[in-house]
Amino acid sequence: MRLTVNHLAKAYGFLWALRDVSIDLPAGAFVAVLGPNGAGKTTLLKLLAGLIAPTTGAIQFDGVTLAPNNPLARKQIGFLAPADHLYDNLTVRENLCFFTSLYQRNDRTVNIDRALETVGLSQRRDEFVGNLSSGLKCRVSIAKWQLLQPGLLLLDEPYGVLDGNGVDLLESFLQSHCQQGHIVIMASHHVSRALKLCNRALILHQGRLSFDEAKQQPWPSFAQAFGEFLPHGESWNS
Amino acid sequence: MELLKHTYLVLSKDLLLELRRRDSVLTMFFFGTLLLFVFHFSFDLPPDKVAEMAPALLWLAFLFTGTLGLAQLFQAERENHCLDALLLSPLDRGALFLAKTSFNLILMLLVELVVMPLFWILFNLSAWNLLPQLFLVTLLGTIGFCVLGTIMSALTLRARARELLLPLVLFPLMIPVILATIRCMESVLKNGEFGDAVSWLKLLLGFDVIFMTVGVLIFDWVIES
Repeated sequence: MRLTVNHLAKAYGFLWALRDVSIDLPAGAFVAVLGPNGAGKTTLLKLLAGLIAPTTGAIQFDGVTLAPNNPLARKQIGFLAPADHLYDNLTVRENLCFFTSLYQRNDRTVNIDRALETVGLSQRRDEFVGNLSSGLKCRVSIAKWQLLQPGLLLLDEPYGVLDGNGVDLLESFLQSHCQQGHIVIMASHHVSRALKLCNRALILHQGRLSFDEAKQQPWPSFAQAFGEFLPHGESWNS
Repeated sequence: MELLKHTYLVLSKDLLLELRRRDSVLTMFFFGTLLLFVFHFSFDLPPDKVAEMAPALLWLAFLFTGTLGLAQLFQAERENHCLDALLLSPLDRGALFLAKTSFNLILMLLVELVVMPLFWILFNLSAWNLLPQLFLVTLLGTIGFCVLGTIMSALTLRARARELLLPLVLFPLMIPVILATIRCMESVLKNGEFGDAVSWLKLLLGFDVIFMTVGVLIFDWVIES
């Protein structure tokens, strides 16, 4: 399993949101995508998810070029949007049934119950998703991607809506997902949390990839690169 | 098989959502009935003009009612960015098109099943024996409307003021369907059979088949553009 991004760029009209980004990620990579607001993090994730088309460049996952007309490639990609991508007027269980059927997970009946138990929602499986808080919706999303097991999992600011237990759940899911050889890419402003989990960090600035290194301990080059975006007098692990 | 399976999945999800919310079907039903009463109080149909005016009035009601349904067609997908969730999945885009078209068709047929007999009663029409033939024409016309309407609804999905834009782009393209349907219904009401209007019926059938095929083929481009 390998993700290769070659000279990826995205322009919205005359505005370049992302310019000349190239990445090569092996199986088991856990990448933290960091950077200030407007750096292009969400654009990068949406391009990788195939939700928007690149202006130039190409993305290959497992040797297959990602394109909208390639359903097999799409089956391998997950996007965990904390409180989105679920139908409010379907119950928790119906949402999971619907999406597992779309992804053709036939062994779903037992697994859905197990996944709901893992995220602490087995008692609320027959509640409408619209009645759940954002944090609980995020737990449903975690259960959804636990069931679907995508080869490449993308996350955009997952920490905002979760409580302490939810964060623990998410982090243990992500770690086990990586250990199974899948790739995880997470964009977040929670730098210390992201760095604790990741084994590689990317820093985007004004649409360009300004930093791309495997994690080290200590990591002076990261401290220097990221220090530019912090408020005066603060460090990234404060 | 994959196409049919995905179509069934999305269609059953949409029907379940509609069964719970009932907002589209109720709005369409009340609006259609309301229009009939407005027509009833505004026009006095003389018996010799029935064949010419009744189809046009009926189709005016169907068009406006159907446009209401089309405006709501992707409502569930607009909430919580569920459309992104569908586009992210391996769902066949052609299946999404077929499911949405079928869903809108079911809603419109339910409304028409009530509106057409009501029209007959309100305007005191006597040709009840012609209703099956008229239903057949209406079915073909409604399929054409739903097929083209789903494509246009998806095209205007991300547009500002889409509720205003949708009828503006849809109605001109619907002219062949409206013309063919009205001519067929007129012929049935006048002569009790399709007679010369068979060529209009063929046009209607051709329109449905062509745009259904085009919709399945181009819907990935339509929904992602």
